Amino acid sequence: MSDEQRSHIERAIARAFRGDRITRRNFFRKVGRGGVYAGTALSLPAILAACGIGPSASPGAAASRAPVGGGDPSGTLNFANWPLYIDQDDEGASPTLMQFTEETEIDVTYTENIEDNQSFFGLVQPDLDEGNPTGYDIIVMTDWMIGNMIALGYLEQIDVARDVPNFVANAADKYKNPSYDPNNAHTVPWQSGITGIGYNPALVDEEITSMAQLLDPAMIEKYSGQIGMFTEMRDSMSFALLHNGVIPQDATMEDVEAAQQTLLAQAEHVRGYFGNEYAQGLGDGSLAITMAWSGDVFQLQFDNPDLRFVVPEEGGILWVDNMAIPLNAEHPNDALAMMDYVYRPEVAAQIAEYVNFIVPVPAAREVILQHADEDEDPENADYLRAVAESELVFPSDEMLGRLHSYKVIDEEEEREWNELFQEVTQG
Amino acid sequence: MGAWLRHHRGLIPYLFLLPGGLWLTIFFLIPILTMATVTLQEGSLGSGFRMTFNFGIFPEAIGRWDDQLLRSLQYGLIVTALTLLIGYPMAYTIAFRGGRFKTILLLLVIMPFFTSFIIRTISWKFILADQGFLLGTLKDWGLLGQGFHLLATPVAVVSGITYNFLPFVVLPLYVALEKIDYRLIEAANDLYASRRQAFLRVTLPLSISGVFAASLLSFIPAVGDYINADLLGSRNETMIGNVIQTLYLTNRDYPQASALSLILMIGILVSIFLYIRLLRGQELTV
Repeated sequence: MSDEQRSHIERAIARAFRGDRITRRNFFRKVGRGGVYAGTALSLPAILAACGIGPSASPGAAASRAPVGGGDPSGTLNFANWPLYIDQDDEGASPTLMQFTEETEIDVTYTENIEDNQSFFGLVQPDLDEGNPTGYDIIVMTDWMIGNMIALGYLEQIDVARDVPNFVANAADKYKNPSYDPNNAHTVPWQSGITGIGYNPALVDEEITSMAQLLDPAMIEKYSGQIGMFTEMRDSMSFALLHNGVIPQDATMEDVEAAQQTLLAQAEHVRGYFGNEYAQGLGDGSLAITMAWSGDVFQLQFDNPDLRFVVPEEGGILWVDNMAIPLNAEHPNDALAMMDYVYRPEVAAQIAEYVNFIVPVPAAREVILQHADEDEDPENADYLRAVAESELVFPSDEMLGRLHSYKVIDEEEEREWNELFQEVTQG
Repeated sequence: MGAWLRHHRGLIPYLFLLPGGLWLTIFFLIPILTMATVTLQEGSLGSGFRMTFNFGIFPEAIGRWDDQLLRSLQYGLIVTALTLLIGYPMAYTIAFRGGRFKTILLLLVIMPFFTSFIIRTISWKFILADQGFLLGTLKDWGLLGQGFHLLATPVAVVSGITYNFLPFVVLPLYVALEKIDYRLIEAANDLYASRRQAFLRVTLPLSISGVFAASLLSFIPAVGDYINADLLGSRNETMIGNVIQTLYLTNRDYPQASALSLILMIGILVSIFLYIRLLRGQELTV
């Protein structure tokens, strides 16, 4: 896509979104990080309860069991997801969930209480460890956390061929049989996205194309105090690894130590290490160059069409958030019905039109274009076309070729990586 | 029951203490003891934690996080001093000059509590944003350089904590000042004390119990606070609360996190003890 086309599309998006729809962007502005602390407050007693515990459920506790499912739905589904990660109408209800309930007669309690992988894991871990139901039938966790939870035996097995036929029929090949969950034995993707660099051309003189422009102290000195990084350890470490010419999945412990040195050298110029709230900084002009998640920048562009998202030449990170059924969940058949439902192209399109991350269903693109043709409001039609044409929602093969996954690391490695990274973020 | 109680009147105070005592046992004593046990264990979530009586963790944790521990104590002291400096005149004015507006003024002091702590702190983030309506406007007028920022500085963190704990300081100071018999101050004036002397020799000593309670109520939570440093600060303002939170929730290093929590508690208790020594001879309970 040429720059001219691109800025045309972005202006169209900005027009389409003038009006007071609740976007994910608005949400960040209104709520910020509040939810994180609410989550923390909830999980502290849980952690106290976890203290003095024995070893976690033996690895493979769930592996020896048969896959769940094959039965009739019970009519109840408890679904935990990240904030603003599903379509929403003006009243804040989700058309997708309402249509699902209408069709299947399954009542969905949809909770947006996952703010980050670690805190949510801390919240449900004591129950999973005891073999108690967590109260959720579907949770959405990022690929590396799924890997950890499978290793701990915390997820139910599923049989996608039997119970999630739409996934088998409609998911893009690259989402099938992922390294963190071979044969999709426990999970199917919800959405995925790219970790790259977002920047504000009004504050940055040159075009950003490389990791060095984010990480090299000599190059960022003039933007000191306006550089943003992520608290998500795997994202930040993977960036430093890529900068040092190391593919994250091949990283040795020496590479990780070198990556820490790269981050420590950069730290004096870094404004902060952020979660979701980096988007606020990029939007309000306090961050000039920052690590960024693709869908967020797509949203921020409605407000400031000049903002840019790039996958640096060294590469970016492709992450996948997955739906999984926690151990001993009470309504597994209902969960499987939901997993199957969202893999219908019409449903996937409806969610993608709102969420703007990468949809695992390629056929959704045609549906979105069709919606655009049918839409009588030209601004909405332009917006829908922009979603369908965006590299951030439907990335090209060339783009996907430059993206890497997180390294799958065991508990001991994770502890070492975390300690190295804590020195970066907290001194 | 009634007859039994009449025969054992001495037990009644203990019965009154029972609910509070149970509450403290379940929600304070047991967690603290659990925490102390976890401190001495080694291991990980996957392989389980085993008791190894690893007392070495205390010097290790202090050595690793000395900067953050000292910074927290330092911020706590600055915040306590600032809240007293701001809060004392406020409480004094309300108590002695508030007249019929006393209730309304007190209501205004506690008004911020009607909004959540976190939302209020996030609001400061918007107010102080680099290009926000405050700094942005001053920058447009050319009064500040474009690169100037308040967020991510110690000033922002200390101000945030001071703001958040100010009501905790004003209320006990008000209670202490309010019960002072104003005729004592008038008497001092009658005996040719200057206003300054009357304040230093009558009002201040009589309100010292309020000063004591107020400083504890601001110092203890300020030292342990992590939300202000997280939202308004950067890497260089990291407080010990942030370190403990990361150790618990991200690294899941429960022993080190518990050790730091215990060290923090002991540090605070020692500070309070020194403070009591400093104020010895004064009436410290309201």
